[in-house]
Amino acid sequence: MANRSAPRCVSANDQGPRTNNEDNNMKRAQHPLEKILEDRIAIIDGAMGTTIRTYGMKEADIRGERFKDAKKGLLNNGDLFSLTQPKMICDIHRRFLEAGADIIETNTFGATSIAQSEFFVDDPREHGGRKDPEFYSKIVGDPFLEGLAWDINEQSAKQCREWADRVATATGRQRFVAGAIGPLTVSLSNSPDADDPGFRVVTFDQVKAAYANQVRALIAGGVDLLLVETIFDSLNAKAALVAIREVLDEQAKQLPVMISAAVGRGGETMISAQTPEAFWNAVRHVKPLSVGLNCSLGPDLMYPFLEELSEKATVAVSAYPNAGLPNPLSETGFDLGPPDMARYLSEFADGGLINIAGGCCGNTPEHIAAIAKALEGKPPRKFGTQLTYESPAPPSEIASQA
Amino acid sequence: MSASETAIADASKWRPLRLSGSQPFTQQQGVYIVIGERTNVAGSPKFAKLIKDGKYEEAVSIARQQVENGANVLDVCMDEGMIDGAVAMTRFLQVLASEPEVAKVPIMVDSSKWEVIEAGLKCLQGKGIVNSISLKEGEEKFREHAATILKYGAAAVVMAFDEQGQAAGYEDKIRICERAYRILVDEVGFPPEDIIFDPNILTVATGMEEHNNYAVDYINATRWIKSNLPYAKVSGGVSNISFSFRGNNVVREAIHSAFLYHAIAAGMDMGIVNAGMLEVYEEIEPELKVMVEDVLLNRRPDATERLVDYGETLKGAGKASEKKAAEWRNGTVEERLAHALVKGIDTHVVADTEEARVKLGRPLAVIEGPLMAGMGIVGDLFGAGKMFLPQVVKSARVMKKAVAHLTPYMEAEKEAKAAAGEVVKSQGKIILATVKGDVHDIGKNIVGVVLACNNYEVIDLGVMVPCEKILERAKAINADLIGLSGLITPSLDEMVHVAREMERQGFKLPLLIGGATTSRRHTAVKIAPHYSEPVVHIVDASRAVPVTTSLLSDESKPAFVAKHRAEYEAVRKAHASPKQPTVSIEVARSRRTPIEWRAEDIPQPSFTGVRVLDNFPLATLREFIDWSPFFHTWGLKGVYPRIIEHEEHGEQARQLFKEGNALLDVVIEKKLITARAVYGLFPANAVGDDVELYTDDKRDQVRERFHFLRQQANKEGSEPCRCLSDFIAPEETGLRDYIGAFAVTSGIGLKELCDSYRANHDDYNAIMAEALADRLAEAFAECLHRRVREEWGYGCSEKLSNEDLIHEKYRGIRPAPGYPACPDHTEKGTLWRLLDVKTNTGIQITESFAMWPGSSVSGLYFAHPESRYLSLGKIERDQVVDYAERKGMDVREVERWLGQNLNYDPAE
Repeated sequence: MANRSAPRCVSANDQGPRTNNEDNNMKRAQHPLEKILEDRIAIIDGAMGTTIRTYGMKEADIRGERFKDAKKGLLNNGDLFSLTQPKMICDIHRRFLEAGADIIETNTFGATSIAQSEFFVDDPREHGGRKDPEFYSKIVGDPFLEGLAWDINEQSAKQCREWADRVATATGRQRFVAGAIGPLTVSLSNSPDADDPGFRVVTFDQVKAAYANQVRALIAGGVDLLLVETIFDSLNAKAALVAIREVLDEQAKQLPVMISAAVGRGGETMISAQTPEAFWNAVRHVKPLSVGLNCSLGPDLMYPFLEELSEKATVAVSAYPNAGLPNPLSETGFDLGPPDMARYLSEFADGGLINIAGGCCGNTPEHIAAIAKALEGKPPRKFGTQLTYESPAPPSEIASQA
Repeated sequence: MSASETAIADASKWRPLRLSGSQPFTQQQGVYIVIGERTNVAGSPKFAKLIKDGKYEEAVSIARQQVENGANVLDVCMDEGMIDGAVAMTRFLQVLASEPEVAKVPIMVDSSKWEVIEAGLKCLQGKGIVNSISLKEGEEKFREHAATILKYGAAAVVMAFDEQGQAAGYEDKIRICERAYRILVDEVGFPPEDIIFDPNILTVATGMEEHNNYAVDYINATRWIKSNLPYAKVSGGVSNISFSFRGNNVVREAIHSAFLYHAIAAGMDMGIVNAGMLEVYEEIEPELKVMVEDVLLNRRPDATERLVDYGETLKGAGKASEKKAAEWRNGTVEERLAHALVKGIDTHVVADTEEARVKLGRPLAVIEGPLMAGMGIVGDLFGAGKMFLPQVVKSARVMKKAVAHLTPYMEAEKEAKAAAGEVVKSQGKIILATVKGDVHDIGKNIVGVVLACNNYEVIDLGVMVPCEKILERAKAINADLIGLSGLITPSLDEMVHVAREMERQGFKLPLLIGGATTSRRHTAVKIAPHYSEPVVHIVDASRAVPVTTSLLSDESKPAFVAKHRAEYEAVRKAHASPKQPTVSIEVARSRRTPIEWRAEDIPQPSFTGVRVLDNFPLATLREFIDWSPFFHTWGLKGVYPRIIEHEEHGEQARQLFKEGNALLDVVIEKKLITARAVYGLFPANAVGDDVELYTDDKRDQVRERFHFLRQQANKEGSEPCRCLSDFIAPEETGLRDYIGAFAVTSGIGLKELCDSYRANHDDYNAIMAEALADRLAEAFAECLHRRVREEWGYGCSEKLSNEDLIHEKYRGIRPAPGYPACPDHTEKGTLWRLLDVKTNTGIQITESFAMWPGSSVSGLYFAHPESRYLSLGKIERDQVVDYAERKGMDVREVERWLGQNLNYDPAE
């Protein structure tokens, strides 16, 4: 790990705001990744789940020794592979890195006590009960679940760290590990009970505590940044962001944060129905490294919403859409192949919309390689000093039309 | 925030407060933020009861009403002894989140208890406001609370309160606010634009002398904060101010609005006030207003006693005026309809019309009876100058709604009559059209409405109507009169064409001419001679009715026509007087503008090429509006802002201004129209009277050429014969000069908007929207010009107010093809090619080179300090021939485009 130039410890006092320029408010001392985002479009990896499926793993493979007695089926709990099939997971990380990913995500999308409880705890609804804050008071803080979540996060982070650094050394190009923080299976914004719109199954503090454990474990495993992604519910995301702030404060650390929402066909977060600009207003205080969209829609449907976000956001913008819409007949389960994704992401780049590009569900290392190749040499979106209402191309390009 | 936005904001030390619910909210400069305050248990007993009874969903309906009534932010407060604040706050906000219409707005979490605030923050997916924190419990707590708020991502109201207590006087207010600001910004890292100070609105007129200056202290503190604590906002709880007058709502309402009027002028951004406890400032009874302001502004020692005494006499008057307002509903149906028409109230008109129809038995009897009687009053008042155009248009709206209700009944009656073999006599039918190639129709629309009010049947054919279509339609419906409208000069020729055709086809009906470039003289000299029937120029909408009435009345027509013909003959005679003395084009060129060409006068632009601005913020444009022409559109002649105080028109102007701004608020808020611009700067040099634009700075390849015309009038003294090309460095100087070009529009979506109003019989708002869009287009031109001056590198240091901009107190000009400096509209074709205007903005040019949509402006930029606007005036045949050769155009065609400027008759 010789070349880990871990630049992520920036003292909290370094980011005092200046009153003469709003953008200064948004700046921390520059992270090397931030510098990259100003110079070129960085590549983030593709879908873990999709790629795992191509290895033909069975229930027994995911259980391994550690989970052989689990009562529920675990095959859909892909995060566990990082513990039971580390070779395969590391192979996937390596393939994404070799495909050109600057940033790889830990395999920790569901690695919280709350998400893991779906696989390891009896569902009270099967016995006439309900999931409510009382139920989750026993989940959050449960030694087994929190310990499991810790192990997944720490191990996955370490695996990513190792391969990111190996490939970095081999290629002479720094790679980054993003600790992936997923959306949970519960919502803070919605009531599952149609007769009681004020009801919530879980509390903000419970969600925050579950995320805090995940964040600590990811940091312990050595991630470079934290990625709150596939945000269906902005209030869940807020709980994650508050947890991150509190953990970083308690450890006196500063890691860059990436934020990425999943929007539906109307351009609103899938569960809490927030528009991109409203979402940006709600998270900009975090001074994230980037904000963006991922998952849910394919790239063509995502374009207008990405454009809106790109217009409003004063930080880097990321996009890693699904490979189109689900298509059970295709090998990856999704519509678009590598050349299609390369073409769509090129359009994003040509539109001056993005600083980070990659893929979500349905994107294999081949997709990422195609995207990386297509975006090579394309200028990144200008941010911070960008003119927001100029369109379609950034000013440098317009001037050259003369 | 973008660099350009910052540049604009920096100029005025302003940054918007940005919040969100499920939808974003961005504060607009100069627009007061409305905070819904009925979801506050302390302020609303009804809300408090619902919460205590656990009826949260009903409580949400109060929130919904607030949003429907225009609240930008909802204040939610659960501070009450009998309520568990944290539980109630959580529960209420969670129920609110499931109500999409309410969930879209940001929430203000209002509590004096920190745990309630934190509970509230945990329920907000968007960015809300915390109300409030202060230094009351010392710096440590203050820092901790602020850091927590920042962690959740919310703005904060900061009370002017410290360890010693509440700041009452000015000095304490600003001292505490500054201290809080420094801690928040320098130590906590709180974004300064998210700090909202509440410098304490305290009760005045308490009888204690030391309280007399409280309003002044608040207002002055507000002003100080705005100029000394960058980007901070100011709020306050308004109803406190009038607490001494509990029980006297007339006085309280007047105090609230007068206080807000002054506080907002000082920079107050938002406040908590019951909208039902607010009088309209302009409508405060004048004597009361003086006394209220005496109290608020602490203008005389006995102000309080005087207001208390006067207030006693007003008690109950509030109810009396309400009673009066509803009293008209007690009249007969005829009286009610007349009242509704005169006052422009459409609330009850359909019901009243139906009642009248039943009462009078026939739909036509309603029109000819009460409706015409009402419009007769409107017509009389208008004629006497006691009503103004906007009011008349509103009356027309009421009339239209009434007639729309009656139309089906009349159709049925007509069918019945026709079936019985009877002949139905119609009222006068008038065709109105904006001629081919022209798109401007505000004036025409106003004329149409006014005529319709006078019971003429108006058939409006719209804009860009070809001659054949006008005449065909006139024949088809057996029209009684045709009215033509146009704004741009080529339309004048089209009007001549229509007149000729009417003559040729043997029409026997009068022709009316109107529109901005038309004139009595042009009509008399150029149009009238081609048509045997009366051709009458209408100077504005107020003249349309008397002229039409005279022309369509068998009795008064002969006298009117005889007088009219005599007048026009006199105009023609005066016109035939000696022509303007001129010099030859060679002599004129030798008298070019004397400019000593120096490199330091030629700024080097920061870019060359073409730039596009799409979706330009309308709120920004609003600040650049020159309002005077807006009033002219509505027939109120005067200069803004003086017209607001005009003795005779002031009241009407204020009303119009208020309603115009209200619609503008909606247009901006809902983004009903879109503003786009394209502009470019290009390497250029003058070559003779032309300006050559080069493909790049090598200047060896000509990209486009603008052709200009030179004044030829033989002027006294040493006054030069100017030409626009004089202001660009001639090629032979070797200086690297530049020219700019632009086209802007604020008319995208306007037609749909106006159509939607018209479909609703609301011509008033349709015309208003057009008038506003025109203002926004001009404002856009002004705004863009400022930006270009900066990008060109010579405008950065100018510090000009909007008034200075209106008076063009800056360097450089932006003349437009088709206007006096370069009257040849066809140069627009070059401009369109150069900037690819159609693709980049959607603005199209018609065959007459009018721009569509109409609310568009285009032109050229000249930067030299000596450049100035000029009026070409009359030119001679020698220049026309030379120009035609330069342009590669036929001489006749040039003469057609420049008809207005020819000092000779091309036919001779």
